[in-house]
Amino acid sequence: MITRQFGSEVRWMLRRPRTLIGLFGLILVPIIISFGIWTASDEGEGGGGPPGLGAILQGNGMVVPIFTLFLSLNLLLPLVASIWAADGLAGEAQHGTLRGLLVAPVSRVRLLFVKLFGLTAMSLFAVTLMAVVGIIAGTAFLGTDGMMTLSGTTLSTAEGLLRIGLFILLVTFQMVAIGAVALAVSSTTEHPLVVQAATMTTIIVFQVLGQFSSLDWLHPFLITTGFPGLIDVMRDPIPLGQIGDSTLLAGCYLLIGTGLAAIRLVTKDS
Amino acid sequence: MNKRKVTLAAAAAGVVTGVAGLGLLAMPAGAGQPPSLPDVSAESLVEQVMTSKPGAFGGTVEVDNKLGLPSLAEIPQLADGKHSARIWTDGNGKFRAALPNGQSEQTIVNDGKTTWSWNSADNEVVKSEHKADEPKAGNEKAESVDPATAAKQVVGMTKEFSDITVDGTARVANRAAYELVLTPKASEKTLIREVRIAVDAELKMPLRVAVLTNGASEPAGTVGFSEINVGAQDPKLFEFTPPAQAKVTTPEAKEEKGRDRGSELGIEQALQGEDPQIFGTGWDTVVGARIPAEAMTQVPAEAQGLVDRFTKKVSGTWGSGQIFTTKVATILIADDGRVVAGAVPEQVLFDTIGQVK
Repeated sequence: MITRQFGSEVRWMLRRPRTLIGLFGLILVPIIISFGIWTASDEGEGGGGPPGLGAILQGNGMVVPIFTLFLSLNLLLPLVASIWAADGLAGEAQHGTLRGLLVAPVSRVRLLFVKLFGLTAMSLFAVTLMAVVGIIAGTAFLGTDGMMTLSGTTLSTAEGLLRIGLFILLVTFQMVAIGAVALAVSSTTEHPLVVQAATMTTIIVFQVLGQFSSLDWLHPFLITTGFPGLIDVMRDPIPLGQIGDSTLLAGCYLLIGTGLAAIRLVTKDS
Repeated sequence: MNKRKVTLAAAAAGVVTGVAGLGLLAMPAGAGQPPSLPDVSAESLVEQVMTSKPGAFGGTVEVDNKLGLPSLAEIPQLADGKHSARIWTDGNGKFRAALPNGQSEQTIVNDGKTTWSWNSADNEVVKSEHKADEPKAGNEKAESVDPATAAKQVVGMTKEFSDITVDGTARVANRAAYELVLTPKASEKTLIREVRIAVDAELKMPLRVAVLTNGASEPAGTVGFSEINVGAQDPKLFEFTPPAQAKVTTPEAKEEKGRDRGSELGIEQALQGEDPQIFGTGWDTVVGARIPAEAMTQVPAEAQGLVDRFTKKVSGTWGSGQIFTTKVATILIADDGRVVAGAVPEQVLFDTIGQVK
């Protein structure tokens, strides 16, 4: 029963044209990055590439998926998560279909979990798609010989794929946490754009606040503070401290978002 | 409806748990109850620290720095703020250190024959092969973040000039430790009030060093393990193969390139140079040197700007120059190239600089 609902939710999401356009946009990112690094390498030695992870991209195609997801996590992936969360409840309310779901003999908590499942499945799908395209584009444009880490060690292809898999899970979890908060907003309005605007504004404001060292007491509460630490996946051996903290931080947001959305849905008049 | 109430309560509990979790994550880890350990005399603890031979271990070192140093591109880990580094050693001179700097990382590996220094920011490996008689060469920079080594040096240099006490116990990196406190004797003219060293009760290996200065209750600097596991480490950690795409250079070539880095390096080199002149003993030791005249005039404009920003112009019977003050050290650079530095107030430097040859 519930699996059928899960399945139909994902089918509905995939059928929306904007989902497909969004996914197509996402796979362009790793292709553009690979192409950009490749052309930069043609222009000669060390053309002042991007800092951090970007510095080791040259000839190291397996890092492209990680680099792509790491960059996209700042804006693009939260945007995608917020679109799906917006469509899930506010979009249905706008089309009048949510009323039908609320009066249906299905528990509203179950409705929320179906929406959350749709969000999770689609996030995982989008992130994995970006990673796979990243591996292909990175290998094609930049070549690969295992995966070079930030620590200067070279991992075998299998180990490299394992790291990419771990990073996919970590990034997906961050997306789901943001999406859960967006679902809470989504349950309060009939306008999907309000959900997207609110989510993106929050993410951007968080990132701006994160720049002020005078506000460092606030930083541990911001979900965006956890993003940079995920790069530890590319260190060898992997330090688990920051990765664990980031994931726990996102878990707190997931609990808060889901809880608020549940409260709102249960108390909502049909 | 009862079911509805249950759902609401569960949802509310979820929200509360999430908020509480955020609060918990934001809280600094508590120090916990200090362990109770058998009494030990200060003298024997110092003796044990100096003779202890830490075996193999791996761990994470946290550096909390409030010294007021400007950030140097060379050693970002020394800039004010919190930094962490991971170090591993096999206890026999092989060593690995990973110094993260934002999204890049510097890795230093001493495999017993060669020291490799890798920097992901410029995709470059500096390879220095050891001469036969210096198996530990090239470890200085890596070891500067190792609390065990740092503490031993402090104790070795100052134990004759300090009152040494054991001040209770502490828990560091989940290990029981004694707090060894070195207080400079009253005759020492130093900025430092005391140095607290947490010594592992079992291994007698220093786990944390905190430097407290006069007039401040918080340490000006702390170097300590936040995590340590003692025992044999993966031997693979002490091997390094330069990545295929990396440039491999030697320290000599690297130095050639960095020659025009400006005065800061000039001072550093002068103070570490062939024969720095040492004045005094103990805590108020002053190191003096003379920067060659050409190095003084070769300072690029922007480096000069940097120097001016962090220093104060001073003059006296000894001449005139610039003074650079941090909480734990003072550096005086005279306009004629004489440099003196020490963990002392500026007056001591004014009195000493006349003796620099």
